Amino acid sequence: MASREQELSALPQASDPPRGRLSVLLGRLIRPYLHDEPHGPLPELLGRLIYPFLHGEPPKPQQPTGFYTDTTVCIGCKACEVACKQWNQLPSDGFNWSGNSYDNTNELSATTWRHVKFIEQFSHESPSVPASPDTEESESLLNRWLMMSDNCKHCVAAPCHQACPTGAIIQNEFQNIYIQADICNGCSCCIAACPFGVITRSELGGHSHKCTLCYDRQRDGLEPACAKACPTQSIHFGPIDELREQARKRVEQLHERGVPQAYLYGDVPGETYSEMHSFYLLVDRPSVYGLPDAPFNPWLHMMGDYVRSVAGGLAAIAVLLVVVFLLKP
Amino acid sequence: MHTDSRPQQASAEPLLPERGHEVGYENGPVTKVPGWHGLIAWDALLNGMATGLFLAAAVSELAAPAVFMRVAKVAYPVALVLLLVDLGLLVLDLGDPSRFHHMLRVFKPGSPMSLGTWCLTIFSLPLTAAAALSLLAELGWDFEWARLLAVVVGLLPGFASAAYKGVLLSTNAQPGWKDARWLGGYLTNSALVMGCGEFLVLSALMGQTQAIAILRTAFIVLLVLNVIPLGLLFANLRPIHAQLYTREQQWRVGALIAAGALIPLGLMLLKGSVLSISVAMIFLLFESWLVRAVYVKIPHTSPLEVRSGE
Ligand code: SF4
Ligand code: SF4
Repeated sequence: MASREQELSALPQASDPPRGRLSVLLGRLIRPYLHDEPHGPLPELLGRLIYPFLHGEPPKPQQPTGFYTDTTVCIGCKACEVACKQWNQLPSDGFNWSGNSYDNTNELSATTWRHVKFIEQFSHESPSVPASPDTEESESLLNRWLMMSDNCKHCVAAPCHQACPTGAIIQNEFQNIYIQADICNGCSCCIAACPFGVITRSELGGHSHKCTLCYDRQRDGLEPACAKACPTQSIHFGPIDELREQARKRVEQLHERGVPQAYLYGDVPGETYSEMHSFYLLVDRPSVYGLPDAPFNPWLHMMGDYVRSVAGGLAAIAVLLVVVFLLKP
Repeated sequence: MHTDSRPQQASAEPLLPERGHEVGYENGPVTKVPGWHGLIAWDALLNGMATGLFLAAAVSELAAPAVFMRVAKVAYPVALVLLLVDLGLLVLDLGDPSRFHHMLRVFKPGSPMSLGTWCLTIFSLPLTAAAALSLLAELGWDFEWARLLAVVVGLLPGFASAAYKGVLLSTNAQPGWKDARWLGGYLTNSALVMGCGEFLVLSALMGQTQAIAILRTAFIVLLVLNVIPLGLLFANLRPIHAQLYTREQQWRVGALIAAGALIPLGLMLLKGSVLSISVAMIFLLFESWLVRAVYVKIPHTSPLEVRSGE
């Protein structure tokens, strides 16, 4: 992890404000300690102290990009999982027998940024031939696999981004949500905030990690490793508007072909959640895929919670003041 | 819809499925538990004790200096020690404690953790000044105007440091916390109740009879008032408690919390001696810790055995 962090920190970083003269000044002060071996504990300490306060110039905004994952064509080959691990140099999760179909990684984690889910929907009583989609019981009698390659949703108004107190989480120039590994201090606020259970704190180093939407590859004009490796084009990568257009056409096509359940999850903003830059074509309820049926952005409650919090404190102070004024000699 | 629940078997040496993983994804938890350990309950308690004591002492001293000044000069150093221990816990709970200063890299008022860290940092400065100047005054170097200035300056960040904690915990996607609309209201109110109690204990130990008489009355009213946000918080959390705990466990915790609230109240109504004040405070701290350990620690489950583990 350490070498990867150094690589990441060597990249020019997009950053939150403030930036400007102070950053330039700090940068000059610290440069010798960043690029040469620090000469002794004091310069190293100084370097560590000043480094997080350096803010680079943000790159120019680019066309927003994202993923559209069509789960109906996923064959569960896990090529995306492997490609993600290889490109991002993520360690293996061991050979675990999860007892949950062909799933051996179980969840997204600090070391698994793509996770292929396997859902077996088989009725013991039903014949092996799928029932006609017209019949009422069609859903309960379907004998089918559902497979879905899951990853960070790159939410447009991302709770993890809103929560992060260090500014480690940024929305980069492609409007993807990216964790600056050299800034994160492992406070876990993003983990608590993510409604999809995506981010995890690593045991190695104690920092949080998740899908970067292959920021490094995108900067070099390459598509993300998972999309590149996917043999069925279940994972599409590209400009987000084009992906939405493409996905809507596919839903219409599926409806015409007798799959009326097909719909898009996360392509447009809902009442309680923003649109996502990684959205999915699903054919069953979101919860069947382990996704929240109605994701909720916790920040919608924040102002009200502050009001109640302040009111609780002010009421107590008022009581104290009244009693003091009434009883003081 | 039926989901096949038969686990797959390997042919040669069958490996046993890992325990605790449901087949399918529908009934499993979606969110991940933040790695905050049990320290979060102690952090919430110490935060309330430190900020509450400072606020109770500052408000009382500014309203009636003649009555409260002597005790307040002891209260500020105590509040500082409590705050330092709390800050230590906050740093320890980070995944990478050596990067604690990254918290001050940006100021994001929209992030309760960022706002809270800034408030705690700013609050620590006037609190340190008030504590140091109070101690110096005891040694004969009296800078009264500077000490009072530090107390006044500390009021706003001190209050904000108490108020952010509950909002930090309720503004997230965790089961229980996300529904706890009154967590902030309860924690801030509870901080003041604890602070008033601590200030009362100090007054009793220092034999300040006028201060005891006033604070005892205020403490009684505050103990009653605190039942309101606690009840509202309890109502917020009933659904998650029903999932996590058996009915018997809920009753047991409820009875302990009620005892922790009623015993101090009864003691305060009966007597104002040093002993009864100290015992009342011990019960209050126990109740406050219990509420935090059961309610504030929900995603991690409480020290109680959870329903699924029975
Ligand atoms: S899915 Fe979770 S981790 Fe990904 S951007 Fe949204 S909130 Fe952040
Ligand atoms: S764990 Fe890291 S990325 Fe997550 S909120 Fe904290 S500092 Fe930000």
